[in-house]
Amino acid sequence: MTVVIGFEGSANKIGIGIIRDGEVLSNPRRTYITPPGQGFLPSDTARHHRAVILTVLKEALEQAGLKPADIDCVAYTKGPGMGAPLVTVALVARTVSQLWGKPLLGVNHCIGHIEMGRLITKANNPTVLYVSGGNTQVIAYSEQRYRIFGETIDIAVGNCLDRFARVIKISNDPSPGYNIEQMAKKGSQYVELPYTVKGMDVSFSGILSYIEDAAHKMLSSGQCTSEDLCFSLQETLFSMLVEITERAMAHCGSQEVLIVGGVGCNLRLQEMMGVMCKERGAKLFATDERFCIDNGAMIAQAGWEMFRSGQVTELEDSWITQRYRTDEVEVTWRD
Amino acid sequence: MAAAGEANGGTGKLESSLDVPFPSSREATIALRSLSPDKEPRKGGISKLITVSGSTLSRWSADEARILRVSVNSFLDHLSLVMETMEMFGP
Repeated sequence: MTVVIGFEGSANKIGIGIIRDGEVLSNPRRTYITPPGQGFLPSDTARHHRAVILTVLKEALEQAGLKPADIDCVAYTKGPGMGAPLVTVALVARTVSQLWGKPLLGVNHCIGHIEMGRLITKANNPTVLYVSGGNTQVIAYSEQRYRIFGETIDIAVGNCLDRFARVIKISNDPSPGYNIEQMAKKGSQYVELPYTVKGMDVSFSGILSYIEDAAHKMLSSGQCTSEDLCFSLQETLFSMLVEITERAMAHCGSQEVLIVGGVGCNLRLQEMMGVMCKERGAKLFATDERFCIDNGAMIAQAGWEMFRSGQVTELEDSWITQRYRTDEVEVTWRD
Repeated sequence: MAAAGEANGGTGKLESSLDVPFPSSREATIALRSLSPDKEPRKGGISKLITVSGSTLSRWSADEARILRVSVNSFLDHLSLVMETMEMFGP
């Protein structure tokens, strides 16, 4: 029996989760939500996490009904992400690891998403689409590495959505992407936007500039509504994601797709991906908002896999890093 | 907790030192090992040294006052988080 506690705080969500042999015992989380029109800055986000982290840690233990002595390993997000919030969370993880005398494990955030997706959906060997505010990658496992087959060459798809939400000043509660999704359902007019797939990769910053400009022009002249723009943006962005996912599937001969990351909650994206999968006779896997949005249990799960295959992070090597490629990690727990 | 800052006219560098007392050397060592792994966000113009001898001692040198201030402030925030964690989850 192996019990792992995982600490996550690389963006505006702070979550601590406990997993025991594939069972999620607790997974409390808090989100730092900024006023409409504003994004979250590193120092403010770190301040938010710092204010709540010890409370969330208490909650995680209480909800799991465990004492520190019951924990076998302390996992935390080593990166990638925003520097100041990552440090705040790592400090607490390092401290409790020493206080409780438990080994420490630095986890790659992207791999946390993948391992949680695999656990919850039981997908066998899927092509993974990892889409969030900070990352957009198409990943497939091969020979001890999660290899990146395609990715954004500039900003993440979630970043594009979040920044557009700021332009039209919609609420960030519960998340800007969720509110764009609701508005998109009421859109009726399709506004043509640039479509920028670059081979196996995608680019979003040009679409963002274009739609920011279009919003100012078309909304003031009444040519279209914000709902129409939300609808058009989703259709364009998600089509691009479906295309590069399909391209990777064709290369790998894969019959499974797993969508992870906060943008993976979007039902329209799941719907569009489902259509492509059906056409290819492939299966689509996705998780609900408990697990596709950043959470502590996903870090615990990746930590559980790493720990059981013999990995440990020494305190001197436990520094956080804002850049951490998914394929840098040796996936020792899979053949 | 005693803090001191002084301008060193010779090298144009500013120095600051902090002496943080802990109840035991075990706690001081835990704090040291939690606070030392992360590198300073700023690439140049700042250097920080943390050592333990009974209590935790940190020593900074920086080229400009504002760089020194930012580093010392961050350290104090981080230190207080570590201390709170030890208080809440320690033996």
